[in-house]
Amino acid sequence: MNLERDKTLWRLAMLIPPLAVFGVLVVWPLFSSFYYSFTNWNGFGANYRYVGLDNFLQIFDDPLFMRAIVNTVIWMLAAVILPTGLGLVLALLIDSQVPGASVFKSIFYLPICLSAIVVGQIWVWIYQPDWGLLNTAINLVTGGDSHFAWLAKPGTALYAVIAAWSWQQTGLAMVIFLAGLTAIPSDLVEVCHIEGASTGQRIRQVRPATVVVVALGVINSLKGFDVLYIMTGGGPFNTSDTLAMHMYNESFKKYHMGYGSAISVVLFLIALAIIFAYFRQLRKVDQIYE
Amino acid sequence: MNDRYASATTSPSFNPWPAAIFVCLTVLAVLFLAPTIGVLLSSLKTTQDIALGKLWSLPTSLYLDNFATVLTNPAIHTYLLNTLLIAVPATAGSIALGILSGYVFAKLPFRGSDILFLAIVAGMFFPPQVILIPLFRLFNGLGLLDTLWPMIFVHIAMGIPICTLMMRNFFATVPAALREAAIIEGASEWQVLSKVALPLSLPALAVLSTLQFTWIWNDFLWPLIFTQSDDKRTIMLGLVFLQGQYSVAWGIQGALSLVASLPTLIVFLFFQRYFIKGMTMGAVKG
Amino acid sequence: MFKTTRRALMASALASGLLAALPAHEAFAGGEVTISHYFTGDLGLDGLKQIFAEFNKETGITVKDSPIGHEDFKTGILVRAAGGNLPDVFSYWAGARTQFVVNSNSLHPIDDMWKAAGLDAIVANGATLYNGHRYLVPFGYHYAGMFYNKKVMQKAGITEMPKTWDEFKAMCDKLKAAGVAPIALGSKNRWPAQFWFDYLLLRTAGPDYRAKLMAGTASYTDPEVLEAMDLWKQLLDAGDFAKTPNAYDWTDAADQVQRGEAAMTLMGTWITGYWNNNKFTDADYDFFEFPTVKDGVPRAAVGPVDGLVISANAKNAEGAEKLLEFMISKPDVQAKWASIQGALSANVNVDAKSYTPVMQHALDVVKNAQAFAFNYDLATPPPVAEVGLSAFAQFIDNPGDVKSILDQTQAAAAAAFKQ
Repeated sequence: MNLERDKTLWRLAMLIPPLAVFGVLVVWPLFSSFYYSFTNWNGFGANYRYVGLDNFLQIFDDPLFMRAIVNTVIWMLAAVILPTGLGLVLALLIDSQVPGASVFKSIFYLPICLSAIVVGQIWVWIYQPDWGLLNTAINLVTGGDSHFAWLAKPGTALYAVIAAWSWQQTGLAMVIFLAGLTAIPSDLVEVCHIEGASTGQRIRQVRPATVVVVALGVINSLKGFDVLYIMTGGGPFNTSDTLAMHMYNESFKKYHMGYGSAISVVLFLIALAIIFAYFRQLRKVDQIYE
Repeated sequence: MNDRYASATTSPSFNPWPAAIFVCLTVLAVLFLAPTIGVLLSSLKTTQDIALGKLWSLPTSLYLDNFATVLTNPAIHTYLLNTLLIAVPATAGSIALGILSGYVFAKLPFRGSDILFLAIVAGMFFPPQVILIPLFRLFNGLGLLDTLWPMIFVHIAMGIPICTLMMRNFFATVPAALREAAIIEGASEWQVLSKVALPLSLPALAVLSTLQFTWIWNDFLWPLIFTQSDDKRTIMLGLVFLQGQYSVAWGIQGALSLVASLPTLIVFLFFQRYFIKGMTMGAVKG
Repeated sequence: MFKTTRRALMASALASGLLAALPAHEAFAGGEVTISHYFTGDLGLDGLKQIFAEFNKETGITVKDSPIGHEDFKTGILVRAAGGNLPDVFSYWAGARTQFVVNSNSLHPIDDMWKAAGLDAIVANGATLYNGHRYLVPFGYHYAGMFYNKKVMQKAGITEMPKTWDEFKAMCDKLKAAGVAPIALGSKNRWPAQFWFDYLLLRTAGPDYRAKLMAGTASYTDPEVLEAMDLWKQLLDAGDFAKTPNAYDWTDAADQVQRGEAAMTLMGTWITGYWNNNKFTDADYDFFEFPTVKDGVPRAAVGPVDGLVISANAKNAEGAEKLLEFMISKPDVQAKWASIQGALSANVNVDAKSYTPVMQHALDVVKNAQAFAFNYDLATPPPVAEVGLSAFAQFIDNPGDVKSILDQTQAAAAAAFKQ
């Protein structure tokens, strides 16, 4: 009996500080901003009126919103494939007792230490049409004289930014996969190898790490704003907008705070749906390892 | 494929794989380094040269003026100090709170704790711009604008989800038997946490410290919103504000970027040896 | 806090000492005025610091400034407004943006200060009435002209600058024959393209029609707009613009002109500040007015007006008013500021000789213009401006799409006007 009461006391004592901070500084502002989604506030003045669900209905009429959702989905898919895939390959390669493993690890992790501003700017210089590294390299190889403006063309701008973002995220994926690989107790690995285990089986062994990498990739891609802002600002003419960028444009550039809040509500609901799926994956993984 | 066992199981023979892997990795590493080298190049050139398109060529002479300008500028020293004063407490604070809640969710679950856990993790799932204005109003009302406090508090709060997630997953791997044994010997939950679970969790703490520190150090949104005076700015704002009215001082921005990323790199190198073991625990349990 | 009080005390001691020497200025024993602005270039920052120091000497009021870069300023000031923490004074753009803020009751009217300081006589372009009141003190303004590289024109055999559209097109052909791109445009950040829309519309449909379009009482699908866009399309199709404008920033375009890869660029007078900084001087460049397209249409000059406003809840409204008065009414302060910014002073008493020859040329053009119009994104409300700017960028990317782009623009603009 006493034990249970003690447990409850500890639960309270340990949960209240984080929940208090989280509640005041995250939950309350979040719902406070959601409140504005039911108004037509323009951010500047104190005069606004309640408009019910108008903002949410407007979403369906907004071609920019549709574009933003498509771009966000593309980004999420890319996040799951690119940094994840490359990170896995790198982790497998480095894990094979190659000399200089820690040097390689540092090189691939380095991009994460750079801030979004730097990452954005350097990739702008890579994509620069006339003297950028990419066109220079392409022209060297093909002998041509391309001045293609990767960031200025609607067809390529988004992918160009995703490439830059993936470059930075790959290191994170790699480190997590490496952890998954080295976590496997060595005697288990030995057994596998004596029995002739293949690379494929090793890949399956990192399944839990994969869940983490994919989840982090999805989360970061949903929030992917900084690099996009620096490189294209959602351009050219809104063709590389993601949901986060669209919300920012509507709220802070068009002064449609109310509508911007509605967009962020939608974004949040989408994220919530994803976390349900993630959580279910966690349960499954837990069961495997119990 | 793995030559760890080649000698143990077979007679030594020429194994081409290690060399191939090394070459592969080297090629990838060079490709990966290209952008970073670009930043380095930009720091060693004049802004005019970069504007004229001469970024991607090897410098003929060592132009260290950009670094000199950056390192001797007292404003930069203030920015670096401010960023440190924010990043260290915020990292410590968010990890401490994550430890507490992570422990409860891992070892002291109760009815509905899963939903609560979900709710906390959901805090990672929206872009920070969403809560920009409510938070601004809050700190304005508290009279804390233009101080370092808002950034510390906000980073602690925003870090709670990821710290809780990691620590909960890690604590879940600590065998229940260990905890039960300690309780039988009369330990309180706090003692279990501090004397049993935490010592085993140093690797996870190393991981969190590195990642949190990096994310907080590199943030520029909150300082942009919450600071107004130059002496409260952080290093990332210093970078952003190199945008003059007409154009950016590219060379200086390059030098400043490198200087600004040194601390996070140092933190990574320092914690690196614990890193791998740490990510393990978080990863294996999902 | 402590620092400013001490400074204020010292300043007031100084001020009382100076009392005898200063006619008609009351001693102001301290106080602080907060100001936020977007003049963040090195020169601008230093220039302002000097000006604030002089203001302090004269009135004893300390100025606490927080500069933010242009683009971030727009967000920053909005967050501060939304959070109820606007500085006493902030720089802002005259026109639709100020109107927007006035409509939100966020500004402190300055009619009294205006009258007392006799600003009607001092301030040029008194287009500063909003809902019948004064809110903004113009600080400086710019003029958008066709800036060109003198040597490039000479080499191509062009001796006279075009006055009509046909002459302009002929000149472009000559330049192309000489192997030079006639027009450089750096529309990566969208806004540089607006001057083309502005002038083409002004020269064909006139300032009155354009005012209607900016206010939302005319439509982007009107034949007047299509006519202007068609002229623009002609230039684009003829290859008169240098490669892919959307890929370059306005400074890249300015560099292209400086290097002789292009002959001219339609840009505001701040380009003189940029060029002078890059050692490209008055001897190397000049500008000509955007050519006449239709006879009989009033010739308008286009440019942005930078101003200062006082927030409605300013903590030190009195001090703020003093600062505004100081900034605008002192010719020497104005002259120094204008030269730093490559701008024209809003104070008519500034000696024209303090300007460089090119700036004097600009001053003449503006004086003789039959109308002065704000450029697009300052003439129409911000939500509509966003739509229009993106439309121009899209048009430049694919001029053939002009009709559907205009349709989309009108739909989005109409929705934005309703807000």
